[in-house]
Amino acid sequence: MGRGYDVIIIGSGIIGLSSGYYLSKSGKKVLVLEKKDIGNGASGSCDDAILLQSKKPGIVLEMALESIDMYRGLSDELGTDLEFMSPGAMILIETEDDLRIMEDFVIEQKKCGLEVEIVGKKQVKKKQPHVSEGVIASTYSAIDAQVNPLRVMFAFANRGKELGMQIKKNAEVVSIDRNGSGDWTIGTANGERYVAETVINAAGPWAPFIGKMVGIEIPIKPKRGQIAVTEQVPPLGETNVWSADYIVSKLNPGKAKKREKVLEDLGVGFSFTRTADGNCFIGSTREYVGYNKNTTFEALQIMVSQAARFFPVMNNVSIIRSFAGLRPACQDGKPIIGEVATLPGFFIAAGHEGDGIALAPVTGKIINNLVLGRTNSLDIEELNFDRFQRKEGGVA
Amino acid sequence: MNNIIICRCEEVTEEEIREAILSGCTTVNEIKRKTRAGMGLCQGRTCRKLVEKVFADETGIEMEKIQPSTYRSPVRPVPISNFEEDDN
Repeated sequence: MGRGYDVIIIGSGIIGLSSGYYLSKSGKKVLVLEKKDIGNGASGSCDDAILLQSKKPGIVLEMALESIDMYRGLSDELGTDLEFMSPGAMILIETEDDLRIMEDFVIEQKKCGLEVEIVGKKQVKKKQPHVSEGVIASTYSAIDAQVNPLRVMFAFANRGKELGMQIKKNAEVVSIDRNGSGDWTIGTANGERYVAETVINAAGPWAPFIGKMVGIEIPIKPKRGQIAVTEQVPPLGETNVWSADYIVSKLNPGKAKKREKVLEDLGVGFSFTRTADGNCFIGSTREYVGYNKNTTFEALQIMVSQAARFFPVMNNVSIIRSFAGLRPACQDGKPIIGEVATLPGFFIAAGHEGDGIALAPVTGKIINNLVLGRTNSLDIEELNFDRFQRKEGGVA
Repeated sequence: MNNIIICRCEEVTEEEIREAILSGCTTVNEIKRKTRAGMGLCQGRTCRKLVEKVFADETGIEMEKIQPSTYRSPVRPVPISNFEEDDN
């Protein structure tokens, strides 16, 4: 069977579609294989935030900064309004202890080139007139942004198709074999066979199943993130907001121990963003519950109560829906992006956890450069899959 | 042009739904993600069947074989104040 494609991408989430678009733009013949339909997985069940402030200084923050620059021009490039906006974001702080830790965190982020500051109660009130008296300070960054992930996916898909990219849905990959000439043959559940020089595993939380087909263990686990959606309302304040409580508990394990057990077990943070349509997303959790995508009353109750605690006026607003997505989480908190050293031509672009939307454009660009053999401006060595092999003493 | 409103909450027309199908949407969930039909206050209680009918008409797939879009709680709008812990 002859080679039909240059590149086969497994997964039509935002990472797969971004990679497919940039590779098609480079003239590669691309096929995207999707198990179900577009938006069925993590990229279609998440919020709209591109939050730089939650990123630890390092490669992920550097990538996010580049990605946000790319997003600025992407609506024009793709010919669709992606609802990209930069309202900025604030991380609300309720205690003196959290304030001290956030002050140190902000200093580190500034060193990495992120424009962020701590603002006092008066400034917080000015930007968030409805905020509760319990908030003593906040971070503020004007650069934090948002985008409509569904629009981004459909725009990558449609522009990609115009450039020759093919997308096959209901095409679950069940086998990957290397043939004599070094090409990859991919088999799907409905009995189709496709051959390509290069394969990209962009299956998000399902990436480990694809890895098994080529004999590698990919350490990505699904973490369930639940989100509540409000009816459409006018803006409450100038920016989207988060709470410091969860971020501090990640930075400082001592704090995590003191948090209520139920909050720690569910991995509850507080995120509050307003979409271009006026619906607010109230989130979120990070739960290890396998591939279960149900929402739970317990989590919704905690999340919406937080919204009412920070903004008492929210008591009058109705919840119209809830949803949950599986965030593909790597054990070290960084995505896997690159070619697998022992499997030339087999790439991974997965494990972005909660940063998939933020990092989609830059990930697509990096994958495109890697497949074309070009150098990347960012040093992405530490995102290589082989970092896990080295730790385990060279399993491969 | 067919400007009949199918989704009243989000004001999505029959024509927009047919265009979404022609642009590549192959499930009612995808139509929803693309057009916002069913994402409004009533969460598709009014338009769900209408979207399925247009989908059936445009694709030739029988109504009973169409996978409905996902149902999620709450089934009607619930004010946040009603989520409070009930001690009784």
